[in-house]
Amino acid sequence: MTFSSGFLTLLVYGSLVWCAISALGLAAMLIKDLLRGESW
Amino acid sequence: MTEDSVLLDPSTGYLLLAIFSVLWIGLGFYWGRRNKSFEDHALAGRNVGLALGSATAAATWITSNTTMLAPQFALELGIWGMIAYSMAAFGLILFAPLAKRIRTLMPNGYTSGDFFRLRYGRTAWGIFMLFTLFYSLTWLVSMAMAGGILLEALAGIDYVWGMTVILAVCVIYTMRGGLGAVIGTDFIQSLIIIVGIVVVGFAVLQNVSVDEIHANLTATKPELVHVLFPAALMAIFNNLLFGLGEVFHNNVWWSRAFAFREGVGSKAFLIGGLVWFPIPIAAGFIALASGALNVAVPSPDMVGPLVIANVLGEVGAVAIFIIVFCSLASSIDSLLAATSDLITEDIYRRLLKPAADPATLKKVAQWITLALGVGTWAVCVPRVGTLASVLFFAGPLVGAMIWPIVTGLYWRRASSVGAIGGMLLGGGVGLISYFTIGWFVASTIGTAVSMVWVLGAAWLSKDRFDWNLLKED
Repeated sequence: MTFSSGFLTLLVYGSLVWCAISALGLAAMLIKDLLRGESW
Repeated sequence: MTEDSVLLDPSTGYLLLAIFSVLWIGLGFYWGRRNKSFEDHALAGRNVGLALGSATAAATWITSNTTMLAPQFALELGIWGMIAYSMAAFGLILFAPLAKRIRTLMPNGYTSGDFFRLRYGRTAWGIFMLFTLFYSLTWLVSMAMAGGILLEALAGIDYVWGMTVILAVCVIYTMRGGLGAVIGTDFIQSLIIIVGIVVVGFAVLQNVSVDEIHANLTATKPELVHVLFPAALMAIFNNLLFGLGEVFHNNVWWSRAFAFREGVGSKAFLIGGLVWFPIPIAAGFIALASGALNVAVPSPDMVGPLVIANVLGEVGAVAIFIIVFCSLASSIDSLLAATSDLITEDIYRRLLKPAADPATLKKVAQWITLALGVGTWAVCVPRVGTLASVLFFAGPLVGAMIWPIVTGLYWRRASSVGAIGGMLLGGGVGLISYFTIGWFVASTIGTAVSMVWVLGAAWLSKDRFDWNLLKED
């Protein structure tokens, strides 16, 4: 029994998109914290 | 190493090294201006917000192993290998509730050593210090050595020079800026690493499709796409427990739990874990593409950079150089800061100079950071040992500390006998299994033995711990 090509596709593209969203999310969170004066 | 065999022109390598060195040191000095006392230096004033907190959790956990060893895991253990590496994210995710509990129980705490000393007494504290210093120093040495080796392999920069520059830069900005500088640079480094991995990943997929990668693996290395690959399946549990042990015990993470503003810790570790989770897969799949792209891989630990440089040329080599440099700096600085704070608080302040004032403690922490850097440099110069073997050797030791910590934080019956026996028996049996069976079961066995002893001792114990004892001033 082997992993399908579809599963590998989902894994690879899913992880790349997840990373991209994470980077945008972190940047947005920092801007929000800076505007509120709550970065540190 | 000849110039022809490296991926990047050495002059470009030196230029990148200089640019990032100046940037990190400059930021360290800038952020260091805020630090007046040991609390400012060691815990960034206990006021770090959610964005910086989440980023530093993720960035510190992204080591050069994540970007270099994850592709090697994929190359040797296939699809399960990438998923197994990602399991280390649960170390951060499951530490989230613990971070909240730690901040509540120990509002004035500084280190994980404080917890062991107050919760289980001096003997357990001594064993903990031995285990954690062994782990922290081997991690620090392996990171610095990896830095020298990778800069040499990527850009032909002499091993000793590359290792010295990375270590010196991290020591300077950590000494000057403390945890604040570490957390601030971590934010920038995390964004550079994640964006770099996304750009490189999509660029590789422009040259080869996932269907082609899958077809090549099925034809040439079918075990890598097999659902039942025994060693890979065992590696999942091993990495999960190794990750839990590393995060749960180490002062790198406890110092952040103390440094984050009240109410931030649990969210920051959860977000940090979720940010980290896809990175080993996004970095690791590139290794699986090596066959479909006809890239020769003479050394498995260099498979990621080799594929990227072959497919993307000079631009890819620059990208991997920056990603690796940021991965190394984000871990080395955190280890220097956390280990220096551990020695300052647990040994200098608690054992030697209880009356030391905050300004003196800050100076001591800075000198210890320098000493750690010099000591690490001296160990690294001869270039002995390999990255993976040093890392996994510590696996059973850190696995044996999971249960003493979890039960100690939540269960009044958890006892010193349980903690001491759990660490010694779990660590000992785990190390024996490391040498007699293999690395892929050592953490699992060490954790299981420790769990049985700790839970058994707690069940038989008549102790009922007073949580107020953890609120030491």
